[in-house]
Order: sequence, then structure tokens, then C-alpha cells
Amino acid sequence: MQGLQTNNAPHPSVIIPHFIFAAVSLIGVAILLLCSENALLQVYFSGKMIAITHLTILGWASMIIFGALYQLIPVVFETSLYSERLAKVTFYSLGGSVLFLCYSFWTNSFAVLLPYAALATFISLLLFVINVFLSYKKSPRNKIESKFIMMSIFWLAATELIGTLIAFNFKFNFLSEIHLHYLKIHATVGFVGWFLFLIIGVGATLLPMFFISHELNRNWLKKSFVFLNLGMLVMLSNGFSVNEMSLEIVAFSFSILGIVYFLSYIYQSYKKRLRKKLDVGMRYSALAMALLVLPILIFTVVLKVVPIADDFVNRAVILYGFSVIFGFVTTLILGQTYKTLPFIVWLHKYQKLVGKTKTPLPRELYSEKIATAQFYSYFLCLILMAIGIITQLSILLTIASYLLLLVGVLYTINVMKILLHSTKKAA
Amino acid sequence: MTAEDIMLFEIELLELLKEVIDPEIEINIVDMGLIYNLTYDGEGIVNIDLTFSTPSCPLGDTIMTNIRETINQKHPDFIVSIDLVFEPKWTPALISDEGRKMLG
Repeated sequence: MQGLQTNNAPHPSVIIPHFIFAAVSLIGVAILLLCSENALLQVYFSGKMIAITHLTILGWASMIIFGALYQLIPVVFETSLYSERLAKVTFYSLGGSVLFLCYSFWTNSFAVLLPYAALATFISLLLFVINVFLSYKKSPRNKIESKFIMMSIFWLAATELIGTLIAFNFKFNFLSEIHLHYLKIHATVGFVGWFLFLIIGVGATLLPMFFISHELNRNWLKKSFVFLNLGMLVMLSNGFSVNEMSLEIVAFSFSILGIVYFLSYIYQSYKKRLRKKLDVGMRYSALAMALLVLPILIFTVVLKVVPIADDFVNRAVILYGFSVIFGFVTTLILGQTYKTLPFIVWLHKYQKLVGKTKTPLPRELYSEKIATAQFYSYFLCLILMAIGIITQLSILLTIASYLLLLVGVLYTINVMKILLHSTKKAA
Repeated sequence: MTAEDIMLFEIELLELLKEVIDPEIEINIVDMGLIYNLTYDGEGIVNIDLTFSTPSCPLGDTIMTNIRETINQKHPDFIVSIDLVFEPKWTPALISDEGRKMLG
């Protein structure tokens, strides 16, 4: 095949700063949790709680997703990133905005600083959306995986728009409903629309590739796409109009169907895999997929589909957010870092040396022992944090926060080990 | 070189290309089934029909460089011509028994 582009990957200087910022943010999240006098035991709509949530979602998860997506665009869209310069501008703009935003929340400066911080974040995210959209327009094929990614980009813009409107409402007070109502929509569009759509698009590409499994039922992905979008549409139209519980349950049911179809696809890939032994990166990924069931179960409690005392609803909401951000998204990111970052650095450092000298394997760029210790520490952290939220035992949350700090440090050590890898050392 | 010599030399080249490893999957490209055809013309020109597990394989250029360097390390005067082919599409069925053992 003539004219095939296999060298579309962006320069590592576009991607690597995202991983560094994210690693430092993860440590920051653990420190803020320790400094927040157990924010997880308080009401979920508190300045400190929202600051921690946004540092986790934007500074940690989204930042690393942005970096990884720039690398994956050539694989999924089969074309190069539209603009590397724009990606760099987006990184600095988003990094500054996220810190500004978290500071505004942490200091409860809702009416004074928050609107400006939210606006800066909105503009930064919009730059990312534009860059991905223009890359997609160059794509020669329109695969279902690409559609998932494009929908996630759309929902990211919607999430941020709603968030910015909420922030401006603190200053100008123009929305008809209370903040909590819009916050729920903002969070759901972010969790399902942004994270889930993106993870399905990227996961459906990468996981079968890493498992080495073929001949999968791609109709399940198409059905997942339809049901998740139906769920989002019903949820949004209900949220901005009649606000009926029955419609909320309909939206939830559509979303569950979408998730079930996606999980079936991944499970089929897992069962048909040729690579039987899972490395640490894939162990994390498999755990993340299994943990995706948790937020579904917890959301039934939040929706009061099963009867529950009001006292438990606040805990259920926090547990729901925790299970999405830490149980699913963070677990997957921690694992996929070990699949993507060593590869990016290896490609940059050894591309011109292959065949001329002996080169290490990408997995040899980090410490397997540290990665495994990090895996078990994180698993324990998840269990303790979840039990702590349910039982309201602050000691468990404190231990879990220290474990998260340990995970952040171990993760950062490995990330830096990969980034500072020297070709001389390998030779 | 006789036809038989050429055939034996082609087998030798395929053995040599087992040194080219896909760094992610950790299997060489021969046992991965990525080489659809390899011919030697008897006068220093090697033609290879190569495929990737996916058309947008980020390792594509690296694998092609590795093939050329590996052959030229041993036969510096050889010209290595690589044609990328995506029909038939690569499937895991093309992985050799040896490759499957390596996957565990």
C-alpha cells in the first residue's frame, strides 16, 4: 500500500508534560485529602471536596488522557494530530486554569474567583476539543471507536459549558433551579459523556490489541454507542425540563444497557486473547473493567430505586463519585500508563538504534516491582476508602489517604524512571 | 546461485529476521506472521511483502528500519525492498506455534 503513514506520532515533548503534571496532581490529591479533615465524610457540595474532585478529574485523569490521546490519535483516526503547537498551548493553559480553579474552590471563593477560573478552564478545554475535532476531520475512516471519541469530545465541551454556567451563576444568579440540580447534570455528563465514551473508544481499540484478540462482535460496540447516547439525551432533556424521576430511571437503564454491551465486548476480547499472561498494566485494566459494575450498583441507591434512609444518600453520592473516579477511571489510567508511556519513550529513544545495537524492551524501562507494589497498595486503598465512606470511620479514610500518597509516590518514581531512561544505561 | 541455493538462502534470511522483535508483543516478526513473502533475486536484492497487525501500527517505521538494518548488518551491499500489504488482513491465526508458545 503506497502512501501509508506509519510515522504520525507527535513529538514526545507534546505528550510527556501531561504525564508529569498528572503524576504530581495525583500526589497533590492525596495531600489535599490528608489536609481536608476528611472531606469525604462531609457533604459532597463543599469547597474542599469539589477542589479535590476537580484536581483528580482535570489535573490527574483528564490531563493524562489528553497526553495519551495525542499519541493515540494516529492509531484510532489513522491520521496525524492537527496541531502539535496548539496541543502545547492547551497544556500550559489547562495546567494554569486547573490550579486556579482548584484554588478558587478550596478557598470557597465561589462568587469572586471561580467564574474567571471556570472561564479559563472552559477556553483551555475548548482548544483541546478543536484540535481533536480537526484531527478527526482528516481521518480517512469513520470507525465506531472514532465515533465514541468524538462523542466524548462533544460531551466534554457540554460538561465544561454547564460547569461554567454554574460558576457564573454564583456571581450573577440567573439559573432557575438550585446549584445541586445542575451539579448533578454536570457530573453525569462528565462521567458518562466524557470519561465513559472516551474510555470505550480508546479501550475498544487498545485492549483487543494488547490482548491480541480478533474476530470480536463489533455490533456490541455499535449498540453500546446507541444506548449510551439515548441515555444521555433522555437525562439531559429531563434535567433541563420536567425533571421526572421515571425519566431519570429510563436514562439510567439506557446507560446500563450501553455499559453492558461494552463490557461484553471487552469480556469477549479477554476470553479470545492469545496473550494469556497479563502484565501489570493489563491487570490494572482488567480490574478497572470489573470495577465499572460498582458505580452502576451505587447509582441505583442514589436514584433511590432501592429504599434507603436520607442519611445514607450523601454517603452513596460520595461513594458513587469515588467508584467512578478512583475505582474505574484512575485504575484504568494507572494501568494504561504502563502500556503507553514506556512505549512512547522507547520509540523516541530507540527508533534510530533498532537493528544496530541491542535495545531493551519498553517494559524494561520501569521497575516491575514498584509497579506491582503500587498495584496492591492501590487495591488496598480502594477497599479501605470504600469501607471508610460507608462506615464513616475517619481512621480508615486517613489510612487510605496515606496509601494513595504512597501510590502517587511509587507511580511518580516509575514515571520519572521511564522519562529519565538513558540509552547509554541500556547499552 | 542455483534455484535451490536461493531457496536455502531465503530460509536463512527468514531465520535472520527472527531477530526483529515487536517490542510490545515481544515476538519476532517471522513468528508473528507479519512477513507474507520474502524473495531473493540471487544478485543482492531482497524483496519482502510485509504486513502489520493494524494499518496504523505506530511501530511500522521502526519495524521496517529494523528489517533493513538487520539484513544490512550481515549483508552490507544488499538492497532491501519492502512492500507493505494489507490484503489478506493479518489475523492471530498467522502466528506460528512457536509464537503462540512465546505468548504463554
